[in-house]
Amino acid sequence: MRKIIELKGVSKAYDGQVVLDHINLDIYDNEFVTLLGPSGCGKTTTLRIIAGFEQPDEGQVFFMGEDIAALPPHKRNVNTVFQRYALFPHLNVYENIAFPLRVKKAHGDEIDTKVREMLRLVGLQGFEKRSVTSLSGGQQQRVAIARALVSQPKVLLLDEPLSALDAKLRKDMQAELHKIQRASGITFIFVTHDQEEALSMSDTVVVMSEGLIQQIGTPTDIYNEPQNAFVADFIGESNILNGIMLEDRKVKFHGHVFECVDSGFEKNEPVDVVVRPEDVDIVPEEKGMLRGVVTSVTFLGVHYEIIVDVQGFKWMIQTTDFCAVDSHIGLFIEPDAIQIMHKSKYSGMFGDYSSFSNEFDELSDAAAEVEEE
Amino acid sequence: MKKEHNALRAVQRAVLAPYGVWALLFIVVPLLFVAYYAFTDSNFAFTTDNITRFFTAKSQVSTDAGGTREVYTYLLIFWRSLKLAIISTVICLLMGYPTAYILSRASERVQKILITLIMIPMWMNFLIRTYAWMTILQDTGILNRLLAAVGLGPVHVIGTETAVVIGMVYDYFPYMILPIYSVMAKLDMKLVEAAKDLGCNGWNVMRRVIFPLSLPGVISGVTMVLIPSISTFYISQKLGNGKFYLIGDAIEGQYVANNLHFAAAIAFILMIVLLVCMALMQRYANRKAVA
Amino acid sequence: MKTSSKIFTALILIFLFAPIVILLVFSFNASKSLSVMSGGSLYWYRELFRDAETLGAVRNTLVLAISAALISTVMGTAAAVGIHRLRSKAVRLGYEQVTNIPMTNPDIITGISLMLMFVFVGRLFGASTSLNFWTMLIAHITFCLPYVILQVLPKLQQMDNSLSEAAMDLGCTPMQAFFRVEIPEIMPGVVTGLIMAFTLSLDDFVISYFTSGNGFETLPIRIYNMTKKTVTPKMYALSTIIFFTILALLIMSNLIDTSAPGVEKPLRRERTASQKKRLRVAGAIGGVLAAGMIAVMIIGAPDHPVLNVYNWGEYISDGSEDSFNTIRGFEQWYKENYGSEVEVNYTTFASNEDMYSKISSGAVSYDVIIPSDYMIARMREEGMLLPLNFDNIPNYENIGENFRGLYYDPDDEYTVPYTYSFVGVIWDAERVDEEDTGDWDLMWNEKYKGDILQFNNSRDAFATAQYKLGLDVNDTDPESWRRALEELKRQQPLVKSYVMDEIYNMMESGEAAVASYYAGDYFTMLDAEADNVDLRFYVPERTNYFIDAMCIPSCCQQKELAEAFINYMLEEEPAIANAEYICYGCPNRVVYESEEYAEDMGEEAMEILYPNLDVFAENFNRFAYRNLDAATLSLVNSLWEELKIN
Repeated sequence: MRKIIELKGVSKAYDGQVVLDHINLDIYDNEFVTLLGPSGCGKTTTLRIIAGFEQPDEGQVFFMGEDIAALPPHKRNVNTVFQRYALFPHLNVYENIAFPLRVKKAHGDEIDTKVREMLRLVGLQGFEKRSVTSLSGGQQQRVAIARALVSQPKVLLLDEPLSALDAKLRKDMQAELHKIQRASGITFIFVTHDQEEALSMSDTVVVMSEGLIQQIGTPTDIYNEPQNAFVADFIGESNILNGIMLEDRKVKFHGHVFECVDSGFEKNEPVDVVVRPEDVDIVPEEKGMLRGVVTSVTFLGVHYEIIVDVQGFKWMIQTTDFCAVDSHIGLFIEPDAIQIMHKSKYSGMFGDYSSFSNEFDELSDAAAEVEEE
Repeated sequence: MKKEHNALRAVQRAVLAPYGVWALLFIVVPLLFVAYYAFTDSNFAFTTDNITRFFTAKSQVSTDAGGTREVYTYLLIFWRSLKLAIISTVICLLMGYPTAYILSRASERVQKILITLIMIPMWMNFLIRTYAWMTILQDTGILNRLLAAVGLGPVHVIGTETAVVIGMVYDYFPYMILPIYSVMAKLDMKLVEAAKDLGCNGWNVMRRVIFPLSLPGVISGVTMVLIPSISTFYISQKLGNGKFYLIGDAIEGQYVANNLHFAAAIAFILMIVLLVCMALMQRYANRKAVA
Repeated sequence: MKTSSKIFTALILIFLFAPIVILLVFSFNASKSLSVMSGGSLYWYRELFRDAETLGAVRNTLVLAISAALISTVMGTAAAVGIHRLRSKAVRLGYEQVTNIPMTNPDIITGISLMLMFVFVGRLFGASTSLNFWTMLIAHITFCLPYVILQVLPKLQQMDNSLSEAAMDLGCTPMQAFFRVEIPEIMPGVVTGLIMAFTLSLDDFVISYFTSGNGFETLPIRIYNMTKKTVTPKMYALSTIIFFTILALLIMSNLIDTSAPGVEKPLRRERTASQKKRLRVAGAIGGVLAAGMIAVMIIGAPDHPVLNVYNWGEYISDGSEDSFNTIRGFEQWYKENYGSEVEVNYTTFASNEDMYSKISSGAVSYDVIIPSDYMIARMREEGMLLPLNFDNIPNYENIGENFRGLYYDPDDEYTVPYTYSFVGVIWDAERVDEEDTGDWDLMWNEKYKGDILQFNNSRDAFATAQYKLGLDVNDTDPESWRRALEELKRQQPLVKSYVMDEIYNMMESGEAAVASYYAGDYFTMLDAEADNVDLRFYVPERTNYFIDAMCIPSCCQQKELAEAFINYMLEEEPAIANAEYICYGCPNRVVYESEEYAEDMGEEAMEILYPNLDVFAENFNRFAYRNLDAATLSLVNSLWEELKIN
């Protein structure tokens, strides 16, 4: 695979506030890359630097091996789908899509062919003469994508394009985007704060926080082998505990020694232990490796989400078996369900569900979205 | 990149430059000339006499009781102008606000037609329109003939404060409606529904939701009516039977009498007073907006 | 809409359109009155189209409004874009504050401030005509700019910033992004700004009044300057035409809007290609038109000499009401006699003082002016007049002996008398007892309380009191003026109105019964009096006699041409036409000895206007106004203010 974009030591600060801190990132041809992170992590800034709307304070940006720091947006072979689409209200669907070609003074027939091809690609045949303001969110989204793709850029940048859509439409568009990316063979760089979106669509996920890249990997890598407490918590649900790596494949937490599959740590090294909620089995109390009391139960359709107090640490467990509140249960964890991470600055910040509630989680999500606006 | 960036900045500076120069030359500098003339005598030597004269000149005014009373000429003129302007502005607001509200709630077609109808009179020469009001308001005018036809009247309007106020309201009324309307048209009806849902009756919706939200429009409407009506001199001459001597008449009178320096002094004082008023109003509006 | 809303809206519309209806109706009046309807006719429409000066003023108004609107729209839009992009908050606030100044300043201050600057700078550079079309254009652009900016700026602020980013992203240079995306987005604001600027400029009187100068007269100024004479239904006819033109334009634009074939429902923001083309064409036509007009202003003028004549409003036979057009007549006459083209640029003033202010500012240049006696004296003393070369004015010999060697020009060096008249009292015989008439006491008669009209200009008003009291109208003793003031104050409760041109309507319609005015104007009122009004006229023993004379101010650019003009005005045809049009006395022998003229004027007029001319000269010397010294002028002005604030 060809390296198409390369960021080298890119930094950016606004009014002394660092938003990007020496980022290094390689993006390859025909890849679907997602920049994932909470609001303010620097993902949108990274995107805008690639597009050319922002200049890095430090570092270099290479496009197919060429330093493009001095290139203004209109000279970059990179197009963007904006968060609220930025369709031109004074132009109809056809003219919006034809816009980049008209700017390049393309021939009328060529324009027509390409625009119709794009309309077919995004499934909007017959909408040519419609005003863009009369379209639904999903349709506007498609027009924006078609408009950005029509001049065949090497890279398409998508800035949270799905955030304005409702849940059902979002799912459809995720699939659609994936399909379009495959069909067009163009590199997509997709920015989102929604981890589910990231996992379902991407070839590569770049997890960012506080202006730093936390982990780069395939969705499976990121989920199964988070490199630190931030990634573990941000991607899916995780119980994160303090543990001691006694020796290779032996870790101790909650005063109990567990078998695990990790090695390469120092003897007695303090570590973060990650256990996914769905990887904990509930067994009768006496058969459990750990024992605890159920403090809350939430029915979520496919499974129950229960919170279990084990020696004061609240575990989250997803199970299909019903347990009553206040019942005493045992927990059983397979060795390959235990993921060991080195201590990081995020240690101790996440992974305990003592203050957990569904509602709270949603509220903080909403807050994050508002900030994003 | 830097080069490209600088070019862009240069273009931006270039588009603003003509206006910047223009504003300096034809807005700021002329005002300095007003101040300069206000503080100099006819030989352009510094003096405060013009300003002093405004505040100290006195006249004998006959009282209703038949005696006479001494008044400060220009302060009285200024006060009368202010009074008439404020009355006109309040009436414009009382008439214009409901009109703007009705307009903003009408169907789009009706809105368009009504706005056009309100604008049309503004395209006719205002001197001529004022003249036409004379024909209506005279003692033997159309109004009294109509009243007589239905067995009423006659009413004496021409030459009274009422006539001057009618003239001012008429001429500046559209300037009150348009800004209020443009704010109201953008007002989200869901807010009104929300207020009703939260227990507001019609009056409370108006007072607690619509009015505060339309305040920016009201402020600019009030400004656009108050400012011209305080300084008019044609309306008072024609509809006031020449019996109303307002600040505009005073300035014009001094100009015609070739007393440019005193005319500038009156203009200067008027300007300062209005600037202070506007600043206070803006402040009030801002505080309201924050609250 | 609710019924109550409908009623309210209807009332508002009635209020807004009542005067419009009035002027529509009176534009069809058969007589000259604006308050008495005496049958329908299209007479005033015909008149309007014959009145080259008024049509010229309409053209000037349009040239000015279109140029000012276009320039301020372009500059204002650019400024709004610039302000919107400013990064520094302080600079931005500065711009916003400055932009607000013309809006929060009364137009009278804007007008005065610009006038002061133009005059001052003009003097500094020794320019003789610093007030002209260009200064008016500058003034209009200046007060239109803020309205444009305040329309465009919010549109820019509402605009999604990512639109222009998107355009650049899709291959536009920043400039292309601006023209292809931002301009269409802010277009509604730009168009509203343009319309507002055009409207404001079209209707502006106050700022134009202060900044107008040389020979460029707009419609509002022309109308204002008619105040010594009268506003005729011609102006109503003009307004009616404007009204229907606008109405037609609006209806047409609406028809185009709704008849445009839309694929979907009418789309609010999208324009079809043909509409866009139409818009572009309209814009182009507008631009070319304005550019052409401005070009005409620049290039058109110096082709042949232009003579700037500055006269009272409605004070020359201009072809209206079937009269002989003396202005065009001169142009023709000049061509016939001298073989070259000349153009008369004729503009008007409302009073001697008005004219004096303009000329003494040194900012205008006129070739011929026609002030009154006392003003001539003043201007002569101040060196503002040029001596005439009477070799170029052979017709001077037609001037009657009685009108030579008068105080304002004892050696007949500077002036050629144009008209003369005197102030008398007009009374309505239906309401006034004949035994009360004869002298000034009628104007102070308690019986006619509320029916008396007094002059709305200080000198004439004071004079009535001074003549009544037997005081000298030219006294420099403040006490004498104070006594006159007391007399005017005593009269004040009886006075219905202080009037100038309004006198016509008020006397014609019977609104008032007693008034003092200039002799000839009485005849004009007589022609239009209502059925229940019977106007009469008498001249008190002591009253004002005045002469208006043609002079050449020292700012004159082409003296010989000016003298040719003066000479032509003394020819029989133009002189009679003017005398009949103005209805004042004419000092020209070829006029007052003409039988045709006497016949046209009628016996009563001849008797009143041409009493014994020896007596006229004697009376003139006794009672005419003289130039007052600065202190007395200033005193009169203050006393007048004292009267008016009562």
